[in-house]
Amino acid sequence: MAHGRNRVLSPAPKDPEAGLSRRSLFARTGAAALGASTLAGLAGCENTTTPVAADGGSSNGPGLLGDPTAGGPVDSAGIPLARRDYPVTLPRFQKAVSASAKPETGGVLKVYNYADYLNPDVLKAFGKQEGVEVKVTTFDNLDEAFSKLSNAGLEFDVIFTTPDQLSKLVGRKLLQPLNPELVPNLQKNIWDAMHSPFYDVESRYTVPYVVYTTGLGWRNDKITLDPASLTNGWDALWSATSQRGKVQVLDDKREALGMSMLHQGQPNINTGSQALVDGALAGLELLSQRVRPKVEISAYETLPAGRINLAQMWSGDILSGAINYLPKGTPASVLSYWYQSDGGPAFNDCIGVAAAAQKPVIAHRFLNYLMEPKVAYDNFVGYVGYQPPQKTLNAAKLFSDGILPKSLSNAVVTERAYAASNGYLTLTAEGEQIWEKAWAKFRAG
Amino acid sequence: MQKRRIWGFFAAPGMVWLGLFFVIAFYAVISVGLGNVDTLYQPIPHWNPIDWNVGYLIQAIESVIPGGQNWDVVVRTAIYIFSAIAISLAIGYPVAYYASRHAGRWRGLVVVLLILPFWISYIMRMFAWTNLLAPDGYGSKVLSALHIDSLLSSIGLLDGTDWLGGQGVTVVIALVYGYVPFLILPLFASLDRIDQRVIEAARDLGAPPASSFWRVILPMSKPGILAGLVLVALPMAGDYYTQTLMSGSPSTSMIGNVINDYIQGGPDKSLGSAMTILLSAVLLLFMLYYLRTLRREQGEVAA
Repeated sequence: MAHGRNRVLSPAPKDPEAGLSRRSLFARTGAAALGASTLAGLAGCENTTTPVAADGGSSNGPGLLGDPTAGGPVDSAGIPLARRDYPVTLPRFQKAVSASAKPETGGVLKVYNYADYLNPDVLKAFGKQEGVEVKVTTFDNLDEAFSKLSNAGLEFDVIFTTPDQLSKLVGRKLLQPLNPELVPNLQKNIWDAMHSPFYDVESRYTVPYVVYTTGLGWRNDKITLDPASLTNGWDALWSATSQRGKVQVLDDKREALGMSMLHQGQPNINTGSQALVDGALAGLELLSQRVRPKVEISAYETLPAGRINLAQMWSGDILSGAINYLPKGTPASVLSYWYQSDGGPAFNDCIGVAAAAQKPVIAHRFLNYLMEPKVAYDNFVGYVGYQPPQKTLNAAKLFSDGILPKSLSNAVVTERAYAASNGYLTLTAEGEQIWEKAWAKFRAG
Repeated sequence: MQKRRIWGFFAAPGMVWLGLFFVIAFYAVISVGLGNVDTLYQPIPHWNPIDWNVGYLIQAIESVIPGGQNWDVVVRTAIYIFSAIAISLAIGYPVAYYASRHAGRWRGLVVVLLILPFWISYIMRMFAWTNLLAPDGYGSKVLSALHIDSLLSSIGLLDGTDWLGGQGVTVVIALVYGYVPFLILPLFASLDRIDQRVIEAARDLGAPPASSFWRVILPMSKPGILAGLVLVALPMAGDYYTQTLMSGSPSTSMIGNVINDYIQGGPDKSLGSAMTILLSAVLLLFMLYYLRTLRREQGEVAA
């Protein structure tokens, strides 16, 4: 499946979304959002739900990178969709901070991140070293994060995000360009493949944080499961009828619907096709009928605690579960993990410096600090469970040495697996709506 | 005149509070629900009523009518709330009746016990249930020993014996547990207000106890029953975290979950706001019915 994927992911001219200008794209989306009949009835009083441009009529001019139709499909910010075979260089709207600028002193470094996604000891050590207090504000999901950054005007110094959200953040001018001289650890310590990633060529805005795969985690003391022995490993979830009610699916529209696509043998998890997304929705509804899954992201806690027996989860979550959430007396060997090694999701999260940062130099230093081998190791093994893409970190050895549970050794993300991976990438505005609507339908039961 | 000004002065902080945290906040919800979205699907509130745009409201209405995407959720929510308030009344009425009329010197204690659950936050109490009802929890063991789980599954109310595995009945039980004190307290107050002499008069005139209950006490406690039902039904209609904690499965989603998903989970905040407006309008209808009944009852008493 891996060799065929590039072909599917390519934004080839035959792609139905190609050649659409942003303007017509929005018009179409708006019309689709509202029944055509309603629209006609309301046209007279402009009571439509067609999205309007907020930032001064930018939808009338060329996109952020000049003519958006030149490079194929664009996302809702007007930036072309980054794909492995279609790398995107993000535009710079302001100058990066100078390498000779003095670090700001004192005060608070404000970080915006998921909960439990940074080792508090690491934060304390950095604060001590730089003479600042590091304060983390948390979000539940990236939609919420984007919305609060873009509407509520929350101001941070450091923002954690994912590659598929990046173009939106840049399009809204919420991130500032990085000065590579202030983050030398990127070149020095991070996997070569991530020095100039396809979603952010030249690493203009981000450095990678951690890598993960998405797979299935289960309690091998409660159920017998061997997804690796199946033609399609995800089928283990769909056929777990004996575990009705004790199964969990990620509360994440891309991951859940994408898994359903992979279960159906449809490897293009970045499609904007209505038919394919509808097919994925039908798959999830079938799953709901058969095993009645909970839709939550708490499997890192509920699986070790024994409240569920099988879950779709991220590799980092099952490790974090093993590190932090096993009840006394339960050995880590009861946890098992499987992921689809050929074409399953495997990707990375990333970190950037906010455009509104009050402490841009310290923010750069924080990014650089997290890429120190020792710091990255402590953050990984000591707390977070998500593996940093460090050149010198032999993650496989951590498992064989027993520092991390041997039974979870396939939660390791190898450089090779990462290079051959499938990841959830930016969709067109129209595609995003299609996924969104399918997901709302599933969530409503 | 002087007196009136003093009371106005005392009421002012409360009015300012309500103005800030209810009226303005609700106006913001309306402005988002009747607004538009920008190119990244972030809401643009339309503050000026002249610009209001009913597109999302129509979308919301279309989704909750039969055949719409959220019709099943609406029906499910109605069933859950109706079952929960019926059970709450069945549990709450005898308790309130006992506390107000027969508790004697234990009265104070009973009232304190009724208020006691509020010492612990709602969420914490629900978390306690998730432990009690876990497969190896004490709660499920007791229910299993009493064969309550097999009884419920034999009549099709429970699928299997796992209480937390996305069961509608667990959500209803949790709603009852969470809100029943809100029903008991106004009921207690209303039963307490019934003049003992009226009941004595009924007895004196030859009404047997059952009859004096049906024909005197029950009708006279009707405003209390209604107030209690309104007090529990309204928050249940917007509740989403009970379902999230006790089930988490889409098969038991309530309307509050749908709104929460729209607003928290994705770029459909405007639709979520429109759904909120719709829900508020429906609840307002119930509230008006309650107020009208109350006024009529009071009129009858006065006459």
